[in-house]
Order: sequence, then C-alpha cells, then structure tokens
Amino acid sequence: MNLPAPPLVRLEEISKSFGRVRANSDITLDIRAGKIKALLGENGAGKSTLMSILAGRLQPDAGKILVEGEATRFPSAREAIQAGIGMVYQHFMLVDAMTVTENVFLGQEGGFWLRPRKMARRVSELARRYGLDIDPFARVSELSMGEKQRVEILKLLLRQSRVLIFDEPTAVLTLTETEQLFEAMKQMAGQGKAIVFISHKLPEVMSVADDIAILRNGAVVDTLEAGAVTSRADLARRMVGREVVLQVDKGTSEIGPHVLTVRGLETGALQGIDLEVRQGEILGVVGVAGNGQKPLVQTICGLTPPGRGEVEILNRPWKDFFARYPSDDTLSYIPEERISLATCPGLNLVDNFLLTTRSDFSRGPWLMGKRARGRARELIRDFNVQPSNVDALARHLSGGNLQKMVLGREFFRNPKLIVAEQPTQGLDIAATEEVWRHLLEARKRAGILLVTGDLAEALALSDRIAVMFGGRIMDVFPASDTRKVDRIGLMMAGITA
Amino acid sequence: MTWEILISLLAATVQSGTPILYATLGEIFTERSGILNLGVEGIMLVGALAGFLGAKFTGSPILGFVLGGVFGLGLAGLHGLVCIGFNGNQVVSGLALTILGTGLANYLGTPFIGQSAPGFSPMPAPILSRIPILGEIFFHHDLLIYLSYLIPPLMWLFFRYTRWGLGLRAAGEHPEAAAAAGLNIYRFRWAGVLTGGFLAGLGGAYLSLAYTHLWTSGLTAGRGWIAVALVIFAFWHPLRAVLGAYLFGGVMAFQFRLQALGADLPSSLLLMLPYGLTIIVLVLSSWRGRGDQAPAFLGINVEPSE
Repeated sequence: MNLPAPPLVRLEEISKSFGRVRANSDITLDIRAGKIKALLGENGAGKSTLMSILAGRLQPDAGKILVEGEATRFPSAREAIQAGIGMVYQHFMLVDAMTVTENVFLGQEGGFWLRPRKMARRVSELARRYGLDIDPFARVSELSMGEKQRVEILKLLLRQSRVLIFDEPTAVLTLTETEQLFEAMKQMAGQGKAIVFISHKLPEVMSVADDIAILRNGAVVDTLEAGAVTSRADLARRMVGREVVLQVDKGTSEIGPHVLTVRGLETGALQGIDLEVRQGEILGVVGVAGNGQKPLVQTICGLTPPGRGEVEILNRPWKDFFARYPSDDTLSYIPEERISLATCPGLNLVDNFLLTTRSDFSRGPWLMGKRARGRARELIRDFNVQPSNVDALARHLSGGNLQKMVLGREFFRNPKLIVAEQPTQGLDIAATEEVWRHLLEARKRAGILLVTGDLAEALALSDRIAVMFGGRIMDVFPASDTRKVDRIGLMMAGITA
Repeated sequence: MTWEILISLLAATVQSGTPILYATLGEIFTERSGILNLGVEGIMLVGALAGFLGAKFTGSPILGFVLGGVFGLGLAGLHGLVCIGFNGNQVVSGLALTILGTGLANYLGTPFIGQSAPGFSPMPAPILSRIPILGEIFFHHDLLIYLSYLIPPLMWLFFRYTRWGLGLRAAGEHPEAAAAAGLNIYRFRWAGVLTGGFLAGLGGAYLSLAYTHLWTSGLTAGRGWIAVALVIFAFWHPLRAVLGAYLFGGVMAFQFRLQALGADLPSSLLLMLPYGLTIIVLVLSSWRGRGDQAPAFLGINVEPSE
C-alpha cells in the first residue's frame, strides 16, 4: 500500500482583504501534479485574487503556501516563476510593440545574446506540439485576442512551469479554439503538470476538470471530483447558491428598413465583405478570432476608413456619415475593450455617461451637471449597475457592471444601428443573462450587428448568422436553418458547404 | 575648388554633429527604458565643465572625457532618484535638472571663462583615412569621433540581440508585462537613466575638449534640446540618430561657413537655422504619423505593486 503523494502545491488558510472587502477568507486548496483543477465561481467570488496570490502578484494577509510540503513565500512574480508557477492572465501581459518570439522569451534565463531565428524555431516547435497556431515573427499588436492568449500559453510552456494557472482562458476564444486549448491542457496534465482552470462556465468545467473547487463570496463552499457531478444544474446550484436557468426567449420583432449595408468592402485584412443589417434583427457574426472581425467592426464604427467598396450607414455613405456624425438616433458601438475604448477608467460614471451622450446635457459650452447626474443615476438603477453610486470610478466596477453601464449609456442615445463586440466576454451567468435581455430589448428599435466568438451566444440571440473566415463572409443564413447551423464549425475552419 | 569646400564642409558636419550624436544616443537609451529625461541640456553642460576641469587639472584629456561622462551619470542619477525612487513627475524633474545643471555649470565655470585645457586633436586614422573622399570626411578627426562611430551599431545590437536589451525595451513598452515575466523593471530603468546620462555627459565633454578646447558660458547653446527633439526624429532608433545628428551638424557647420564667407545675412538669423530646423523636423516626423513609435510607457512611472 502506498501513501498518497503530497500535493504539488497546497494553499493553507489563505485570507486577503482589499479595504473592507474580504476577497479570500481561510481558503485551503490542494493542487496536484497531473490533474486539472477547476476553480468555479461567479465574478467576484475571489478566484482571481487567490490565484494572483499563488502567482506572487499579491501578498496574502494570512495563510501559507506550501510547495511540495515546504512553506514558501512569493514576494513577486519572479519567485513564483522560479518555483515553476505560471499564470495566463485574463488581461494579457504582453508587449504589443514586440514580436511573438520576443514576448515568449522575455524574462527567460539564458545567455547574453538573443538568437532570434533559433528562438523562433523553438516557439514554432512548442506551438506545433500543443496545436497552438501562431506566427513567431508577428507583432503582438497585430494579433487577435485568441492569438495573444496562445502567446501567453507559450510563455509558460517555454518556462517548463509545473503549475499552469488559466484565468478565464476561454472568455476570448471561439469554440474551436476552446477545444484546442482543452486538448493542450489535457496534454500538459498528461505530462505531469498541474493545471488550474478558473472559470464560471459550467460545461467547460465539466468537460475538462478532474477536480472542482467551488468558491462563493471568497470562501471554498465545495470541493468535489468531476465524476461526482450529477448534472449541470447541480453544479450551477452549488456555484450560485440558487437555481439559475440560462435561456432567453427571442420572441419576434418587426423587420424594418436597412440600417447597414456593406458591399464589396476590402481593406488590408478584409477581402470583399457583403452584408446588411435591417432594423429589428440581430445579425450574429461568428468566426475564429483574427479572421477579419476586428477590421470589419473598426470600419463600420468609423475608426478606420474603408479601403475599396461601399459602406452605408442609415442610407448615408460612410464618408458623409462620419463627416457629420450625429450623436443621437444613429450608431452605437459597444466595443470589446470595455475599459480602454468604451470608458475612461479614471472618470466617474457621470463623466463616462457624458462621453458619448452630450447633446441633451449641454448648453453652449456648459455641461449641465445636475441633469446628467440625475439621468446617470436612473440608468444605473434601470440597468442594475453595482455599486449604484454615480461617483464610483469606472475602473472600480467589475466587468459585468461596467458592461451594463455601457449598454445603458449607449441605448439611452436611442441608436438605430448597434455594433456589439463580444458583449458578454468574461461576464458571469447573471450578468450575461441581463446583457442578452437588454440586447433583445434594443432589437425592437434597432438593427444589431453582434460580433461574437461565443457560438452559444450567437445562436441564442441572432436572427441571422454570418460566418467569417480569412477576411471573407463564408455564408449568411437564418439561425433557424439547422442544417447550416450544424456546419458552422466547418465554415469557421474555411471549408465551404 | 567647390569640391574641396564641400568635403571640408562635410568633415565639419561630422565634427559638429558628434556632441549631438552622443547626447541623442543617450536620450534614446533612457527613453527606451520608459524614462523621459528633459535634463539633457543641463547634463551636457555639467559634463562639458567636468571634462574641461578634469583635463585642465590632471592634464589628461581622456581622464577629462571620462569625468564628463561620470558627472553626467551622477546628475542623471538625481533624475533617477526622483522618478524611479520617489515616483516623481518625469517632466518636472527633467526641467529642474536642466535649470540646475545650467546654473551649476555657469556658476562654477565663471572663473575659467576664456581659459583652455588640453584636448583632443585630429589624428587621421591609419589606412582608413586614405580612402578617397570618405576617408577625408570621416577619418581625419579626433579619437572621440571614431568612438562615436561604434556606439550606434553597438546600441542597435544591444536592443535587438541581447536579453538585457529586450528587458530594457520591455520596461519602456509594458512594464507590467515585464514584471509579470519576472524582470526587475526598476533595475532596467535605472540602467537606462544612468547610461543615458553618461552618454550625454560625454557629449558635453566633447564640446569643451575637442570642439572648442576652451570654456565659455553656455557652451552647449541648446544642443541638449536638439538631442531631445532628435530622438523623435530618429523614432527611437540608434542608427537613425546618426542621420539626425549629422543633419543638424551640417546645418551648424554650414551657417558658420556662411558667416565666415561674409554672407549678406544677419548673423542672428543664421544662428537660428538649426533651431528652426528642429521645429520643421518635429512637425514632419509627427506628420508622417510615426510619433506612435514612442515606447508606450514613456514618461509614465510604475507604482510598486502592493
């Protein structure tokens, strides 16, 4: 008879507070080599804090970290990395101006000289072995979110980390990419690495985890083996502490006139895009990240001019429309980057509200502060934004609450065309449900272009679906066309029906 | 006849461009690490005085030159202390450094105005100086100019092909990512500030030891500011800095010749040429839309994480 091996890493009674908020209280957790451990919990449950402590980015107020039975302290990320603990952050830690290879090798021990070609070969090898498709010479600034994440993973792979922590890794991935990631995670676990998978997506946790620890309000409320999970509903109940049903009733809505027409649009990354959106419908654009979704959105929203082809917004040519961009009753953009593009992190919610909505709240050069405050307060209440305090700074809001605040702001302008980019990325179940409800509500008055990497989301909300691959639209079809819906995966890989 | 004038003009271009080249390279090195140092003018002036006095009292121009660099490094260390040590505002600290350095050098240098010190004289490089035309332009100079030829390619190699260069650039582009990768960004930023100060000090010492051979007040005459502007012109690239420095050196040499020839233009107008060119160059380089090549975290302090 043999004794069970000591866990590779053991967190013992870890506590951490931020001001009066207790992010972690007395958490004890074992992480074992060769296993995939899922940390399941809603936003704000304390998952990321706990793992930042393990990765040396935060210091616990109390508690111990034991690596192979020995008490260890990680004053900074460097010590954690040396102990073989690496993390793929939700917000990527990449240097945009550098190449993939340079980023992967940043901070690696080694000689004084760099050997770019040899290093690139090393990156390609690793990438191939784990099925992570990447160009080692590409600049990070040109990569999609999915590709950036692969760079983060490659960084850990190169470091031979023994514990790999993934913080909500699938939030930015498409279905195919997610499958590839899980495959890679299983391979790494198979080679004796310990994987920690932070998530709030039940099906993913159920499909990939060996052990599951459920966090709620900063404490571990349950630990169980994946085999012991009876159903998704059971897991959801343990996580949320109440029943949840994630389903939306799409209903029907009146189809109106065209609000967006794109004909033969060509830019560097786009190769002849044709699509149209009418009032009262949601057109879901799906595809693997980096297949032209970003340039398409940027052109439609006026950030980059169209190269060749025509873009008509509310029946006005692109140039004409953006030359005199009327702020109300027209176009709203809900960008993927909530914190840098949609809001100013250092401004309070009133000022952020006024960022895109000024016309009703100014007289001459003066802003009408009181009126704006009043309106912002109503919006925050209507859209259930927490904390419900208009003086809170944008950067202090969680992702879900910030997104609701952005939706509230944009919908207040009564847009006729809404471009929503990954609107529920990184949000928990409750917030996702709310965002979906708001989008469906807005559909009654507007046409919505929904760009998403989450196929489930596209299917739940869209009236029609467009699949993008390699800067082209592979096909556009009604979401009710089950035969085509079944082929979406193939189309996303560039295979025509 | 005109051919000879042209060659001597180009040779003078190299000479008057060299102090600016040293300072520009120094500032590129500093800015790549994410620290903006607007104190170059002050550092150069202090370096010039330190170099001059060092050579005067030790009798060794080489010692004087090194001393110029060391004093530059020391003054830059003050900037590092304020910005890296205490998270002070980089713009304010840099401006204060210029005021401090200028005042200090003028005050301490007053007794020596008009005096000379042993300096560097031209010594044609063996073999290379016999290359037609190019030899005459580039290899009939003093030792310090030959030294300055080596720095841009070395710096380029450092940035591109060494681990430390990668770390230094990362500290300027995305310090948080560098820290997450386990690098000590403060160390890289210190290295950037100190090396940059050392090079700017050398540039100043070149002025007093090889360019004029004597001390006057206000010796640098705004060259430090031109260097700061040239960093933008060079898009933070050490090889492009050569082009910029010689362009300005050329304009300076040209206006001297023009004055010497007794051109029918007010001399004050001619003296303005290099500074006017600075403005034009800055406008042009931002106009081409490449101003975004600046290190993303240039001028932004990194707060130590909790």
